[in-house]
Amino acid sequence: MLKVFVAVAIGAVLAGLASAAVINVASPSLEPPDKPLYNYGTR
Amino acid sequence: MIPEISVGKQRSLLVRLSPALLGVLLGMLALGPALAPGFTLRYDMVFVPDPPIFRDLGGFPRSVPSDLVVAVLSYPIPAMLVQKLILLGIFLLAATGAAALVPRDRTAARLVAAAFYAWNLYLAQRLLLGQWALLLGYAGLPWAVRAAAQSGVRRFAIALIPAAVGGFQAMLVTLLAVLPVTARHPERWRAIATASTVAAVFSLPWLIPALRSGAATDPAGVDAFAARADGPFGTVGSLLSLGGIWNAEAGVPGQGSWASATIRLLVSAIAIWGFARLLRRSRDPALSGLAVAAALGLGIACLGAFLPDALKTLISWWPAFGPLRDGQVYLAPLALVLALGLASFARGRFGLAAVVVPVLVLPTLAIGAFGRLTAADYPAEWRQVQRIVNADPAPGALVSLPWRAHRVFRWTGGQVILDPATKLFARRVVWNDTLMIESRESGTIAVTAEDPLARRVGALLAEPGPAAPRLAAAGIRYILVSHANENEFLLKLQDVTPIFRGESLLLLRL
Repeated sequence: MLKVFVAVAIGAVLAGLASAAVINVASPSLEPPDKPLYNYGTR
Repeated sequence: MIPEISVGKQRSLLVRLSPALLGVLLGMLALGPALAPGFTLRYDMVFVPDPPIFRDLGGFPRSVPSDLVVAVLSYPIPAMLVQKLILLGIFLLAATGAAALVPRDRTAARLVAAAFYAWNLYLAQRLLLGQWALLLGYAGLPWAVRAAAQSGVRRFAIALIPAAVGGFQAMLVTLLAVLPVTARHPERWRAIATASTVAAVFSLPWLIPALRSGAATDPAGVDAFAARADGPFGTVGSLLSLGGIWNAEAGVPGQGSWASATIRLLVSAIAIWGFARLLRRSRDPALSGLAVAAALGLGIACLGAFLPDALKTLISWWPAFGPLRDGQVYLAPLALVLALGLASFARGRFGLAAVVVPVLVLPTLAIGAFGRLTAADYPAEWRQVQRIVNADPAPGALVSLPWRAHRVFRWTGGQVILDPATKLFARRVVWNDTLMIESRESGTIAVTAEDPLARRVGALLAEPGPAAPRLAAAGIRYILVSHANENEFLLKLQDVTPIFRGESLLLLRL
């Protein structure tokens, strides 16, 4: 029974964090750039 | 390592196919909008309509033979569909491969291994950098490891096909995993000889052009492409969580937050513990070979970050060390170790529930990493230009301007992509393969062009006065200019007659 509780608790924490992560990144939208030349990336 | 089914146990078709179904499901969830009609374009992932089969590649063989395979497949099937099949195939191959390394009667463990290997930060970041050819090697890696642990040339050759299609990076990553496994094989020397010979034969398509290209490797690439911290736990913490890619723009949204990074690192720690336990119990030589490969991969990934000068010296001494500059690539065996380690805890129904853990740990890879992967179609003018140039039998190269490798178009939704002109035409395309990387610490890093002809044409373009006669003398027949109204080189090409003028493309013939 203890295993079930532990599994449910871990699942709940992961689901909570996943929801928070999704909500955090879902709101901002990408702004299309308007420059013809671009770098390969930023580090 | 080589799973044996218990005698007398019958497994339903659904159970047998479950890793494949899970792989396709995860692929559909990750790709999301990228599966809509159109091409998915992002950084190195550039697929074009009707890619020519016989291309004059010249220069350094970057997309060899992956582009050729895509071109051949695109002959009977539309190229955009080929792309989607390849991307979904990566998830399918990765999931089934990881599952194939787990005993067949442990369904829950097979599915957890499949889920983790097909849904982790390594795969996500490389996908967002558009490195589908590398990911083919990553997806085929468990199959290659499995074949190396067994015996037989034919089996190993078949398992190595994804890496062979992917090209040099995919093959190197696969060899890193395979060679330590063969070194632990009971018939060690025979296994090593088989693996090396097959890999060498499959590498010829890129090895021969690479040796003949006269390409140079700029040691500055070490500063540009070394692994970096992409979360709060430093470079090593990022690498252990399968992150740490050099390009900050290839990150999965939200991955750098404390909560997300902590959970990922915890999962990695648990998985490493699980793998160590598995190793101790089974004493499987293939597993210990895989552990060596993972440690070596982690070491290579740390090399550029912690000993950059040593790596630069190696590259200056022999350019063949160049592929080590992007060391994070070599984390692929570690990803497999973590998948197997995590799977070792999965037993019974509760173990089955752990299949969702990789998705919950990295939820923002879903739906095309929240819009980072989308589908777009080329405007008609690109196809028109392609038809004009490919219909011309006269020899001569095409120069693509502006003189920079990467582009952003409104029709790609603002995604940065490698210039599509590099793949559209049957003739030699000369483009500036100098890579520009913006570093927050040291400003702009320019990794010098590898193609000798590109360096020569770049110098001709930089000279003052009309450029057309100089370019024609160098064997150039066409100049394709995108974003023509913002291109400084047009001032040097005023005496050339345009043969096509579209909304954003201008084609000049010398």
